[in-house]
Amino acid sequence: MIDIEDRFIEKRIFKNRLILIYLFFGFLFSAFIYRTYTLQVYSYSSYESASIKNKTRSILVQPKRGIVYDRNGNILINNVPSYDLIIQPSKIDNISKYLERLNNVILIDQDERDYVLEQFDNKSTYNRELAVKRALSEEEIARFEVRNYLFPEALIDKRYRRESEYPYLFSHVLGFVGAAENETMSEILTTQDKFPGETLFKYANGYLIGKTGIENTYDNSLRGSFGEKIFEVDARGKLLKQIDFIEPTDGLDMFTSLDLEAQKVAFEAMDGRKGAVVVVEIETGSIITYLSSPSFSINQISNGISSVNFEKLIEDKAKPFFDRASQGRYSPASTIKPAIGLYGLQSGIINWDYTIDDPGFFVLPEDQRIYRGWKKGGHGNINLENALIESSNTFFFSLAYQSEIKDLIDHLSNFGFGRNICVDCFNPGKGLLPSPEWKMNNLNFGWFKGDSVNLGVGQGYLSATPVQLAFYSGLLSKKGSLKKLSLINDNVGKETIVLPMTNITSKDWDKIHESMIGVIENPKGTAKRLKNLKSYNIAAKSGTVELVSLDSKEDYELVRQDILKRDHAIMIAFAPMPNPKYAISVVIENAESGGSVAGPVAVKVLNSLIKE
Amino acid sequence: MKQASFKRFTIFFDQYLFIAITLLSVMGLFFLYSASQGNINVVMKQSIFVGFGIFLMFILSQPDPDIYKILSRVFLITSLILVLITILVAKEINGAKRWLDLGVFTLQPSELVKIALPIYLAAYLFEKPIPIDLKNTFKSLLIIAVCFLLIARQPDLGTSLVVSMAGVYILFFAGLSWKFIGSSIIVFLISLPFLWNNFLQPFQQQRILTSLDPSADPFGSGWNITQSKIAIGSGGISGKGFEAGSQSHLDFLPETETDFIFAVIAEEFGFIGVCILLSIYMFIFLRCMYLAFNARDRFCRLTIGGLSLIFASTLFINLAMVTGLIPVVGMPLPFISKGGSSLLSFYIAFGIIISMASHKKLMQR
Repeated sequence: MIDIEDRFIEKRIFKNRLILIYLFFGFLFSAFIYRTYTLQVYSYSSYESASIKNKTRSILVQPKRGIVYDRNGNILINNVPSYDLIIQPSKIDNISKYLERLNNVILIDQDERDYVLEQFDNKSTYNRELAVKRALSEEEIARFEVRNYLFPEALIDKRYRRESEYPYLFSHVLGFVGAAENETMSEILTTQDKFPGETLFKYANGYLIGKTGIENTYDNSLRGSFGEKIFEVDARGKLLKQIDFIEPTDGLDMFTSLDLEAQKVAFEAMDGRKGAVVVVEIETGSIITYLSSPSFSINQISNGISSVNFEKLIEDKAKPFFDRASQGRYSPASTIKPAIGLYGLQSGIINWDYTIDDPGFFVLPEDQRIYRGWKKGGHGNINLENALIESSNTFFFSLAYQSEIKDLIDHLSNFGFGRNICVDCFNPGKGLLPSPEWKMNNLNFGWFKGDSVNLGVGQGYLSATPVQLAFYSGLLSKKGSLKKLSLINDNVGKETIVLPMTNITSKDWDKIHESMIGVIENPKGTAKRLKNLKSYNIAAKSGTVELVSLDSKEDYELVRQDILKRDHAIMIAFAPMPNPKYAISVVIENAESGGSVAGPVAVKVLNSLIKE
Repeated sequence: MKQASFKRFTIFFDQYLFIAITLLSVMGLFFLYSASQGNINVVMKQSIFVGFGIFLMFILSQPDPDIYKILSRVFLITSLILVLITILVAKEINGAKRWLDLGVFTLQPSELVKIALPIYLAAYLFEKPIPIDLKNTFKSLLIIAVCFLLIARQPDLGTSLVVSMAGVYILFFAGLSWKFIGSSIIVFLISLPFLWNNFLQPFQQQRILTSLDPSADPFGSGWNITQSKIAIGSGGISGKGFEAGSQSHLDFLPETETDFIFAVIAEEFGFIGVCILLSIYMFIFLRCMYLAFNARDRFCRLTIGGLSLIFASTLFINLAMVTGLIPVVGMPLPFISKGGSSLLSFYIAFGIIISMASHKKLMQR
């Protein structure tokens, strides 16, 4: 039996312990309330956004790429809706067998097959789509749709092809598009505040970005911004319902300064010969014609080309991919002479009355080395005007010989040689303006007087791109002041290049222009054959680029057996005179005579522009 | 407490506990409706359990507590035998043998041990000197250890820990000496690394590590905790509304009907809802403490204290787990989580508590 005292002790112990338990659970209760308060009130916003991020998935909606127009509103590149047969490579094990099966429904040709086999692994790895066949006909679509249950990994979907009605005309200047690389894609999405993730890539398929030309230079404005379809998803990522839609912003349409008609004429006149034609509108400095020949189909490249065909293009000896207008380097040859003449006038070495006796060659006093002109026997007693019309080499050899080389180089640099004068050309080349420093650094030789003499007739190390030559031509036409070149009409803020020639008067410019008109109009002019091809006056200067240095015409007859060693033909011109609107440069490789081969091309293009 | 007298018989009843528990149970049915994404079958089944549970609670509160004292040994031995049978014959589910298929109902015998053990210990200590001496302490601990090891064999670490806690609570109320408690804690702490390496399965170790830093592995084993915290946190002050919890309805939250149902409630009813719910739980707990203090004898005191602490412990382990304070252990939210045995075990426990609170003796012992 337990007595009263024991019971008393027991109750006291129990009471104490009960209080302890009270306190303990009271503490737990408060701690827990505090914990919940922290989660639900204090950190609410971060958990709120985590919850929203959990339950939503956005799928990108592609913007439509901007349309490219010429200056008259003709569409140069458009988006053409096309129904494409698309497969999901990541879901297909044996692609060869799969293509065989597809082939029974829709005919897949060898090119398409090659293309698919080649792209398959990459697309599969990144879980991106692959277009097997594009631009399906209605019949093909119908044939597939009735059997589509056989091909759960394939679908026909609407995609936009980038297509030009003139695929070969503007290959280099407009350029082509292609699928964005994964890194590029991720960059683009980040700049548009979209969050790239693996799933996003999947839905960004078929998205094209500009790879070359205007498509590349103006890609930012052409491409637009992605829209988003926002879906509610469950934990397995299954799309439940669309809860929001953000419209994509389509790319901006673009009005270039290019002229479709003139480009067509230039293309036909070049007829696939290697070379380039560039026309500049003098008033604005905008480029009207930009042709590099031969060319390739941008439609083919933009919309998927098999590597076999691509290799063919790459290995073509005529190098159709090579952008001769911006990247080709050609010696200006005799077309440099007006600039050299201006140098003579500016520096006071010569004036319009100054004459020299041209025996057909120039002897370098230092080492008796002989520099020949093109005409045996020479041009006799000759002044600057005739030296330009008849293209006397001796006159300019002598003038360059007397020049201060540093001044002469600065002078040529002002004309745009050796630097980039186009604000939006894709990958513009600078040609080469040699200097004593350049020669020492690159060739390990000092500057010879003979180098200066060669510079006087635009031969030797000097080289320029057709775009630079067109700029040079425009600068001559506008009497020493021209806006930098561009491919769009918007000239706001475009820099104007002004020649710093204080001693050259407007009269001097008129005489230069007259001499250049004489190149065609004068019976002794090097391009007199062009006289009857047009109804207005053209100021021009022809040039013939010697690829092999020779002492006599007989030797050249031997050399020209090899077509690739034949001289290049060059022509710069501007018209209509006396108020020129367009300046042009034409280069035709291995065509031998500037005046008679490049000249007609220039005239045809100018004719198309100057109709009245 | 009431002893409502009618002509023939007396009803033993505690209206506070009865109302609070009924309220919780009914609220639980609504929560479960949302947590199960409107699955009416789940709610119907749970309603049957709740109805049966409340009935059971009422029935069990009628007998005189002395009956429980007399039968306590039989209860414990029977429930331990059931555990043993479970280990021997039950089908393995998720690597554990916990459930005994009785045809209409799958019984989890360890839930019975959870109640039988404290009652047995209270009865055992009824005639022993208080405060409890060392000899009886060790005898009691031996019994607790047997229960613990048997249940841990299933394996069911969570329940076995709760069962041992139930036993220890009784010893604590019986005046377990502070020296003993202190030295046990020291021994436990020292042997912690040994226990970690030898007794915990790798997945259990992983769970513990994850609870310390769930962000280290948000898509692996930290997923449950991360999603649960997002659900609770995104509920804010007033919640997203009934059936509007995106975390639970879009399947980001695991085990919404059972262990993680609190996260569903917190997401849909916010901090306000959580406070209301916890107030009801705390009310029940405080009421039990009060009843324990005023119980008629030592057996009743110890039993009420022990059983109500099991209730409170289960509650806080669940809450701490769901809010990411402790590792995921698999502990239901009392009266709300979907379940059979564990749900019924609480009704049984409270039935016994009410019985002990409402039967008075003329002379208190």
